[in-house]
Amino acid sequence: MLWLRGNIMALLSETAKVEGLVRKPVATPSAWQVWRYRLKVALREPTTLVGVLTALIFTYLIVVPIISIVLDAVRVQFGHERRLGKDVGDLTLYYIDRAFFSPVAHDLFWRPLFNTLTVALGAISLSLVIGTVLAWLISRTDMFGRRWFATALIVPYMLPAWTFALAWTTLFKNRTIGGQPGWFEAMGLTPPDWVAYGRFPITIILALHYTPFVILLFGSALRRFDSQLEDSARILGAHRYQVAIQIIMPLMRPALLSSMVLIFAKCLGEFGVPYVLGLPVKFEVLSTSLFRSIASRQTGVAGVVAASIMLIGIITLMIDARLVREARRFVTIGSKGSMNRQSRLGKMRLPATGFAATVFILSVGLPLLTLALSTVMKMPAKFTLDNFTLDYWIGTDLHTVALQTGILLSPELWAAAKNTMMIVGLASLVSGVLGLLVGYVVIRTPVRALSVYLRQVTFLPYLVPGIAFAAAYLSLFAVPRGPMPALYGTVTILILALIADQMPYASRAGISAMTQLGKDPEEAAQIAGAGWFRRMISIVIPIQKGSLVTGVLLPFISGIKGLSLFVILAVPSTDVLTTYSLRLVDYHYTQAANAVVLIIAAIAYFGTLLAQKLTRTNLAEGLGS
Amino acid sequence: MPTINLRGAQKNYGVNSANAVSDLDLEIRDGEFMCLLGPSGCGKTTTLRMIAGLENLSGGEIRVGDRVIDSVADGIFIPPERREMGLVFQSYALWPHLTIERNTDFGLRLRKLPKAEREARVERVMQALDIAKYRDRYPSQLSGGQQQRVALARMLAVNPGVLLLDEPLSNLDARLRLEMRAELKRLHKEFKTTIVFVTHDQWEAMTLATTIAVMNEGTLQQMGTPNDIYDRPANRFVAEFVGSPPINILTFGKPGASDIADKAEAYFAARYPQLRGIGSIGMRPEAMGYAAKLEDVPQGSFSGEMTVTGVLPTGGSWILELRSENHTLFLTTHALPRVDSGDRVFFHVPAEALHVFDADGQRITEADALLRSSTYN
Ligand SMILES: Nc1ncnc2c1ncn2[C@@H]1O[C@H](COP(=O)(O)OP(=O)(O)OP(=O)(O)O)[C@@H](O)[C@H]1O
Ligand SMILES: [Mg+2]
Repeated sequence: MLWLRGNIMALLSETAKVEGLVRKPVATPSAWQVWRYRLKVALREPTTLVGVLTALIFTYLIVVPIISIVLDAVRVQFGHERRLGKDVGDLTLYYIDRAFFSPVAHDLFWRPLFNTLTVALGAISLSLVIGTVLAWLISRTDMFGRRWFATALIVPYMLPAWTFALAWTTLFKNRTIGGQPGWFEAMGLTPPDWVAYGRFPITIILALHYTPFVILLFGSALRRFDSQLEDSARILGAHRYQVAIQIIMPLMRPALLSSMVLIFAKCLGEFGVPYVLGLPVKFEVLSTSLFRSIASRQTGVAGVVAASIMLIGIITLMIDARLVREARRFVTIGSKGSMNRQSRLGKMRLPATGFAATVFILSVGLPLLTLALSTVMKMPAKFTLDNFTLDYWIGTDLHTVALQTGILLSPELWAAAKNTMMIVGLASLVSGVLGLLVGYVVIRTPVRALSVYLRQVTFLPYLVPGIAFAAAYLSLFAVPRGPMPALYGTVTILILALIADQMPYASRAGISAMTQLGKDPEEAAQIAGAGWFRRMISIVIPIQKGSLVTGVLLPFISGIKGLSLFVILAVPSTDVLTTYSLRLVDYHYTQAANAVVLIIAAIAYFGTLLAQKLTRTNLAEGLGS
Repeated sequence: MPTINLRGAQKNYGVNSANAVSDLDLEIRDGEFMCLLGPSGCGKTTTLRMIAGLENLSGGEIRVGDRVIDSVADGIFIPPERREMGLVFQSYALWPHLTIERNTDFGLRLRKLPKAEREARVERVMQALDIAKYRDRYPSQLSGGQQQRVALARMLAVNPGVLLLDEPLSNLDARLRLEMRAELKRLHKEFKTTIVFVTHDQWEAMTLATTIAVMNEGTLQQMGTPNDIYDRPANRFVAEFVGSPPINILTFGKPGASDIADKAEAYFAARYPQLRGIGSIGMRPEAMGYAAKLEDVPQGSFSGEMTVTGVLPTGGSWILELRSENHTLFLTTHALPRVDSGDRVFFHVPAEALHVFDADGQRITEADALLRSSTYN
């Protein structure tokens, strides 16, 4: 009997336990309750608020100017009311018609477009040929001095492209335009116009300038490539060249296409080189045509041209985004740390090294040497001791119309340098900090839409060539709008435009830094009892110090070299180093202009080295993005 | 800390994804050492993070005592920094830019304690966890095990009411792991903290916990003492998840599929005709015995004749692998086996050690009493 009772008890307690588990379910919350809860969680911390604020700022600094210039293209501009019989601001197709279909359309748009495309294609082909060979030599062969070349051949990219344009004119300028003759002219060998100006030199210079792109992108793809794939093909009996054509090339295609697209996008917005080398023979590309429209106050047509440049830029980079996605599929093939064996060059070792050295000399050594020499020579190409002087750097009482002192003693240089430091420095500082903030919000906010919008809006300027972006700023801020006074001619517009222009890099740096940081350290601080501001100050910013420094330094370097934004938005009182040197070119002060360009190049070069040292990264990673 | 109560807690990470945790009811009493046990991806970490407030809920509520700290319906969300809970991350999450001492000190500084007390408390936990000698190093200069002790010290220093530990021992080697287990048990006693411990190592759970909560696919399968979980698994999932070698399952209702299962079905039909709807039965390898001759099989137990196909020593005990025509069973014995591969033996299980599940895999609790009673008649 006893066991029976025991069993009944056991039975009872069993059911009790089961009931204990299956308690009455909590009622499912209504949609409104869920929404209220989410809102509460989202607004608990300043993250979302900061996100909304930055989103608003960037909408105003990036989206609105772009919309503004597109609207300019289809609305009657000031001064055209009579001719069009409409009021200012009315919709009109006049400018589109003028830019695309009128008798002047050929000069305004089609010829520049054709020139842009052919120059870009030429530059792409040339840099691909040179770049792929160099990339292969550097990453997969036993060429002499591989390490050294790996850095040395990237140098052209660290310098402003029009450094090379100035070097070119210093050498090849003929009597078509005034000022000091070029070296060849001075030696009695008059270079023909096609060598001195226009398509040929522009193509060559852009090709040399963008070859580092190919070396970096293609090189890193080559390094990731698993030589076991090569080996398996060889074992199956394929010849060396068959392997190259059937195995390596198809796998490298995404990297190749990607560098092509990037070079194209860069060429599209390139202003300095065609300005220096194209102007004397009226060789125009889209960016210089846009510049001319703006300079002659053809706002409507400028809007059409700028919008066209943007459209081409956006399409190009969308193609690139697709290619990058495609490339990801390939990446899995070459596993990390996979075999990567060097090919032996044998008796080609010396010629190969010679080739790399030649490219280095042509793309770095010769141009820089020419520029440097030109600044210490009174007469071009006269290599006698009495022709050399330091007057152009530090001289006084020179017998010139303006600029009667050496460049280093000229107050204008220092004013420009001060402006540069202030404008570019402030803009870089702000964009670096904003970039980290954007990164923080993008990674942390629970509001997905905000994260996506911020990420995309800060990336938008990347799709818009600088010259078109500057035009957009001019269109928006040239006249007072609402509470905003007219900003043209002020330092403010330059700073704002620079910030916006640098946001793609700054926000990407911020996002990747925050992604790498992960949530853990911050969550641990949260658990320990730290609120938002405390976490920012004690955890996030100290850990991110390094990337904050680079986030400021990298935009600073690109800002120092930058020309296209300034050339449209700066006025003489807000001259920066780049526009100052361009002005000197215009006035034919060759030595002084070259000296300023050398100063800029030096800052850019050493700044890049510093940034690389600080981040311990390679430029290639920043480029591949 | 008063009892922590999760009611209908739910978490969904994406619009189109399945619930990471669904309708979870969990009660963590003061001073308890609770283990969340379950296979990878079952929602253990998510549960812990919801309790800590690092993850907001998609439904349900969390109470501490009678205070609601998180509720979708009431629109309440107390942020993690105000929940006064300690969480040790699986990755340790030490602050790389602070020394070990500053890491340990961080929470105390936030609480604005006087310097003397801060130092005393830091000293005490650093001594207790044997990390005082690394005080001026940075986390990257410590080994994994040392880092993990710093992570623990950092939490213990503020003496939170509850300590949430997410697989803190998974990165340690076997010896350190054993040491840290003992350490945790000692800390539990010394600091009298409520501890919630996530693991997918069942032995860790068995040896440490006062209560185990077994989870699978985001739902709670069973909550009970380690013995409960082992002796009375609430369903087949728990039965199969806990125990090594795993429980032997015989599925009913598929005549011909397994001779042993058919035999078991006949056994139940003959002895317990009143039990209906049996889907399967389970036999723990440890509960089984074997005999060389039929006469030695105890009366009333379920048994069958099979061939020994393997004798696997596991250090102090042996696993026998038994095969019949179409079934394989495992059996554990602590005595040196006197059989060899190829021998015919009779395995046997007392009726009370059989676990009976219905067709849905739920334990038929009525069967327990019945089987137990029959052992004595
Ligand atoms: N941030 C997230 N976003 C989307 N899904 C997630 C996220 N975190 C977890 N999940 C999903 O939720 C489920 C539960 O995850 P959880 O991390 O809680 O598992 P776990 O039990 O801790 O597993 P493990 O033992 O592997 O740590 C998994 O299916 C996982 O894929
Ligand atoms: Mg986990």
